[in-house]
Amino acid sequence: MDETRQRLTNCFQVVFPELPQEAIATASTATVAAWDSVAAITLMNVIEDEFGFEMDLDDLADLDSFEKLYSYLQKRHQVA
Amino acid sequence: MTITEALRITQSVPRDARPFAVTLACGFTPLHLQTFLAAHLQQTLADRKVRITPGLYGNLVGTLETISDASPPDGLVIALEWPDLDPRLDYRGAGSWSVTAVNDIVASAQTMLHRIANALLRIPAGPRIALSLPTLALPPLFHAPGWQASQHELALEAGVLRFAADIAQAGRIAVINSQRLAEESPAAGRLDLKSDLYTGLPYTIEHADRLASQLALALVPPAPKKGIISDLDDTLWSGIAGEVGPDALGWDLASHAQLHGLYQKLLASLADSGTLIGIASKNDPAVVAKAFERKDLLLHPEQVFPIEVHWNAKSGSVARILEAWNIAADSVIFVDDSPMELAEVAAAHPGIECVLFPRNDYQAGLAMLRQLRDRCGKERVSKDDALRLESIRQGVAFREQTSGGAAPESFLEQIGAVVTFDFAAAAEPRVLELVNKTNQFNLNGGRYTQADWQKLVSSPGALLAAVSYEDKFGPLGTIGVVAGQLGGRTLVIETWVMSCRAFARRIEHQTLKMLFETTGASEIDFRFTPTAKNGPLRDFFATLLGEEPQSEFRLTRSQFELRCPALYHEVREMRRAQAHG
Repeated sequence: MDETRQRLTNCFQVVFPELPQEAIATASTATVAAWDSVAAITLMNVIEDEFGFEMDLDDLADLDSFEKLYSYLQKRHQVA
Repeated sequence: MTITEALRITQSVPRDARPFAVTLACGFTPLHLQTFLAAHLQQTLADRKVRITPGLYGNLVGTLETISDASPPDGLVIALEWPDLDPRLDYRGAGSWSVTAVNDIVASAQTMLHRIANALLRIPAGPRIALSLPTLALPPLFHAPGWQASQHELALEAGVLRFAADIAQAGRIAVINSQRLAEESPAAGRLDLKSDLYTGLPYTIEHADRLASQLALALVPPAPKKGIISDLDDTLWSGIAGEVGPDALGWDLASHAQLHGLYQKLLASLADSGTLIGIASKNDPAVVAKAFERKDLLLHPEQVFPIEVHWNAKSGSVARILEAWNIAADSVIFVDDSPMELAEVAAAHPGIECVLFPRNDYQAGLAMLRQLRDRCGKERVSKDDALRLESIRQGVAFREQTSGGAAPESFLEQIGAVVTFDFAAAAEPRVLELVNKTNQFNLNGGRYTQADWQKLVSSPGALLAAVSYEDKFGPLGTIGVVAGQLGGRTLVIETWVMSCRAFARRIEHQTLKMLFETTGASEIDFRFTPTAKNGPLRDFFATLLGEEPQSEFRLTRSQFELRCPALYHEVREMRRAQAHG
């Protein structure tokens, strides 16, 4: 597992402590009941804490799965 | 604190920890305020599982009006903002900002404040309440330019302040200090408009954290320190007494030593509210005695006891002062201008809080004054606070007359001791304060929130007695609290504390005698737990049981009567009719 994926996994563990480790990689708003609008914002802030940059609330609606967040982070990383 | 840290704190609590339920009343989406509030409370309440239940969105007053007797929370936090007073003050609303609307906003805000005040009055006894007044600036809807306060803004702010002053007077609601919050969270960094419009949370993360921190402190305040031990030279006053002489010592503007004068005034103010003030100084006793004769001292000599002045180590002075006060080092602050002296005292008395007096740094000096007020400050001052120092002086006289050991029978017989049991004092603030700060004579070290205490003393069969004492040396005030439940012929004591100032007077024996006689119980079960500090209580029970208790135990009436020494107190009882009626 690459570093970004691992760090994102850690963020999911903080926000969704009940989510089994093996379910994180496939997690999405459709599969995780606790991933509501409040959890989405909390997850965004935890990712900001972890990766040290600010995310835009406008992007929030599209970032509705682990994979999409991972792709987003990779793009941000490339830009940086 | 970051969101991640806050979440980790709230997730680190054992699942079986006893819950501490808090209702968070706010009109906006609580989001991070809720997370940070839970984390800050969790740090204070390490053995509880803090659970925050947010109130109704957009209906703060409705949340308050639905809190019922049936299941009141342990605590209530209210984060008031302007939109709670009128929705037209909400950036998320579509209400008019017209000139005519503004007059109506002021009127409707007053009506809403009145409704909130009434709702607060109707909340059942038990939960402690913390309230923050609007922390965000009003929207730019008033006719005046932003640098000028319009009459409408002033009217709104005045209405909020009147509301706060009225409800704070009731004593049950802790209102956040807006000026202190402004230092912690500057006004310009509070509003996150995009977050407000997108999510309903108007706060920046930083502001949510700082506000939550202050609300948590107001909801579960730390126990105040009991005493301050101060150095003299270049601390209580400017100058070295032995070098310049008592008349040249300064603490005023003229001698450029006002910081020392402010320190004296603060100590005098703290002494007035029951904080013990002692002196530990390496000095010539005769010179210091002359200095204390000066009429312009702002800390009066009668407010200070004991005064330890000699050339020996200050750690020894501190030890003797702690012994005279009969309190532990971790309840005390030591103030000195010498880092070396602070280090010497800190090494000898683990737990004591050592504070450097920054004699040439005025900003640091002000910070120190505020630190002392924060550590020793109290929400209210009781008549017992005023008695504390005098009763300690009397305690020393008492011990001197009894040569420090057990008091001879003839002495106890002649001191005119009166023990008063007040059976209807459950709601007295001093009672819970005593339970939560007493360490040595404490049945189990249990600490109670206001809500827990309310549950204990209002449960079926509950019995509570506040114990006060006086003798020819003077009154000690309220020095003991015992509480439990009576079921059949067995009394269960859940908590029993007695101030260390009251030791050696057989008040604890008289309390047990009262419990047996008042309730008719043939045995008493004590919910005892050994703690690091409750040795004096264990020693007392060892004299009755024949050995130190190790866990919960039972004492029968015959066991007690067999070993109870002669008691010479006059016993008085108060408010029994109301208590039992």
